[in-house]
Amino acid sequence: MRLPHFDLRQPSTVEEALSLMEEFRGSALALAGGTDLIPLMRYRLEVPSTLVSLQKVDCLKGISLQDGRVFIGAMTPLADLVSSSIISDNFPALLQAARAVGAPPILNLATVGGNICQNSRCLYYNQSRTWRLERPACFKAGGNVCHAVPKGNKCFSVYSGDLAPALVALDAVAAVEKRGRSRSVSIEELFSGNGLHPIALGKEELVTGVAILLPEKSSNSSYMKMRARPSIDYPLVSAAACATRGGNGKIEKIRLVLGAVGPSPVVVGDVGRFFEGKTLDEVDFDALSEIIGKGARMVDNLTFPGSYRKAMLSVIAEKAVRAALRPGAGKEKQ
Amino acid sequence: MNKPAKRLISLKINGMEYEMAVRPNRTLLEVLREDLMLTGTKEGCDDGSCGSCTVLLDGSPVRSCLLLAVEAENREVTTIEGLAEDEKLHPIQQAFVDHGAIQCGYCSPGMILTAKALLDENPEPSEQDILHAISGNLCRCTGYNKIVTAIKAAGRNGKEGD
Repeated sequence: MRLPHFDLRQPSTVEEALSLMEEFRGSALALAGGTDLIPLMRYRLEVPSTLVSLQKVDCLKGISLQDGRVFIGAMTPLADLVSSSIISDNFPALLQAARAVGAPPILNLATVGGNICQNSRCLYYNQSRTWRLERPACFKAGGNVCHAVPKGNKCFSVYSGDLAPALVALDAVAAVEKRGRSRSVSIEELFSGNGLHPIALGKEELVTGVAILLPEKSSNSSYMKMRARPSIDYPLVSAAACATRGGNGKIEKIRLVLGAVGPSPVVVGDVGRFFEGKTLDEVDFDALSEIIGKGARMVDNLTFPGSYRKAMLSVIAEKAVRAALRPGAGKEKQ
Repeated sequence: MNKPAKRLISLKINGMEYEMAVRPNRTLLEVLREDLMLTGTKEGCDDGSCGSCTVLLDGSPVRSCLLLAVEAENREVTTIEGLAEDEKLHPIQQAFVDHGAIQCGYCSPGMILTAKALLDENPEPSEQDILHAISGNLCRCTGYNKIVTAIKAAGRNGKEGD
């Protein structure tokens, strides 16, 4: 199907891009790599009158290390993340998440900012216009019904980005800019928790980059993803873990984040009691699995049933935790 | 919305420069196939899943169905038509023929261009490297084994350079 008509703007500086986002507030969308947005436009799920392409804004591309902090420009292709020694040496979870997005031709186009800011997905929403016209419009499409949960009173769409759970586990911060103002937002706070509008950005705002503090030497991280076809599929469930060990080999702290469980990545709270002061062998993963996903309502709106995805959640989470606690995890070539 | 004005753009495709007027909503795939008649690049799923529309952009494989034609301006685009020299097939194309790696042929242009990008970077890839490289190109005929064999052979013979 052809793309709808739109006006394309191609700024070459951030200032110019921000001015355009302000000028066309509400009617413009930012175009990064296009691997998510172009199919959405083809399905008429997005019909912007203007696209502001960031492809020519060269200063938004690149990975740099300064003052103990790694900064990744929003337009950095995922292929550059995968080949960066700064990323592989310090953030195994981010490396694994970027690799897990898809096959090389996808990684060559897709960008860091685009992957983070992608819309949430649902089996009943991400369909062609013809398919959708056979049913009443769902909440996400502007209607008042949920096809995944009959009688459901909200949108149950699932945020399916791979990078965000890893970045939340790594305590990363996003640089968010609009004309004349910039702010730093933790990646966790970038999400609204609302399936209708999962990304908490103003219409004139852009994510221009991501900053991550270099990890402590005794830290390690890992990302695990379950999907049917590794080369193209979004996660059915995913988990990112970042763990720090003390000098005695015991676990000092751990951060566990779940992906594809709802409209935003979910930080598993109160995990300290399962890990802190223990060795890996002493961790009671059975008890942990009982609290994982507690409260997460996983419904039949992706290609695998919600009940199966929920059952697999603790398996994937345990794998992520074990990998993060294995010395050198993720640093080996996969 | 109303149709926006066409833009005059210059595309570099297979070493040739083409000046053309295109509307912003047209993908590189559409322009290649419909305006330039370079129909070797195939349209499959149209949403980035199958890899049959793969072309090389500055030497790296990308989906041409996901790329706006105007965004390919000033980049080097290589399509399957750019590989053979006159009547002589490119060594990777020849290896695909020799090893029976082509059946219906629909995935072959994307598969061969992906293989070219891999072999240009790593002339002696392991089987794992090959499987990873072509993981985004779906083939419903061959079962992939003969494709992997052909790519290995093209690399082993050191014939891939051009």
